[in-house]
Amino acid sequence: MRILKKILLVLLILFLVIQFIRPTMNTNSQLLPTDISKLVPIPDSVRSLLQTACYDCHSNNTRYPWYMNVQPMGWLMAKHIREGKVELNFSEFGSYSKRRQLSKLKSIASSVKDGSMPIASYTWMHSDAKLSAEDEASIIDWATRTRDSLEVKN
Amino acid sequence: MKNTIICLVALVTLTLAACNSDNKSTEVNSVTTDSGSNTPAIPVVYACPMHPEVTGKNGDKCHKCGMDLKEVKTAGPSTSSTPVAGGSVSIKGLVTAYLELKNELTKDNSAAAATSGKALVNAFKNFNKSGLSTEQVKVFDDIQADAIEHAEHIGANAGKIQHQREHFETLSKDIYDMVKSLGAGQVLYKEFCPMYNDNKGAIWLSETKEIRNPYLGKAMPTCGEVQEELK
Repeated sequence: MRILKKILLVLLILFLVIQFIRPTMNTNSQLLPTDISKLVPIPDSVRSLLQTACYDCHSNNTRYPWYMNVQPMGWLMAKHIREGKVELNFSEFGSYSKRRQLSKLKSIASSVKDGSMPIASYTWMHSDAKLSAEDEASIIDWATRTRDSLEVKN
Repeated sequence: MKNTIICLVALVTLTLAACNSDNKSTEVNSVTTDSGSNTPAIPVVYACPMHPEVTGKNGDKCHKCGMDLKEVKTAGPSTSSTPVAGGSVSIKGLVTAYLELKNELTKDNSAAAATSGKALVNAFKNFNKSGLSTEQVKVFDDIQADAIEHAEHIGANAGKIQHQREHFETLSKDIYDMVKSLGAGQVLYKEFCPMYNDNKGAIWLSETKEIRNPYLGKAMPTCGEVQEELK
């Protein structure tokens, strides 16, 4: 019994201590000149879909729910964001080469089409990020059209 | 007792903090050139097709990219740093790795395609650009960034051959542009499958005129046509 108490105490202290190790927040609301919206036209409907379903991990500005202030949830999310931004960052889309912009747009369409994005572990916590069939269709359509228009410009 | 607990907590916390801190720092492959490993008695030298400085015995694998070492025809052991005639750099190693990937896809072999994808990533990362002109470097850098990404995805998606083929489609365009700009050092054919991707079609490069379709694999092995011969 005393052992169990001790273990619980240690865990509690541990939990309290880790609250002080906070990941840097991914928040920057200013629109960079490299932001995708400065580069290609995005209809408002698509823009709001992208903002709710993609931007938390694929831009420089994450909307943090309250429980992300509780560790280790915050750490987990920080890891997701770090990896997401490496793969695709809408805030820095303009810094990609033309070739990569085309690639990224293609991947946006295909990952939404095959349902690999937004990932299940994210929509599980963020039910508003779940895309309906129409939502998916409009993102795919936008990405494909944008890609074609960029390709013509090339 | 209290001290022990406090020490323990501190230790665990530190460990966790260390785990949390950016552990993405890329592994730096220490490039060790094994200078003394050549056996002088045997004239046959096996070397990596992509990294000629990596030599070894028959059946060995390259420590940089994992490819099988191939027999080197030349007698001299110091073929490693001989520049290609004309001062231009050969992208043959990259093309070879690409073709290997292509051939695995024609066989519907997703796991082997993943391995070839990884080998292609390494080939790109270790590519020596020193012989390229500034204009060529620009083209190459642009293609390299994109191609590495696609090859990485192919490498990371063993078992998901559809996904691998999607990336292979864009990768093929990259390699085509690269060959157009830098030359492959061998005859290649630009081949076209009109059916892939809902009849939008896709191209690939091949070492043979004979069609072996990497997009449809064994389902429709001979679907496609030669569009262009690259010399």
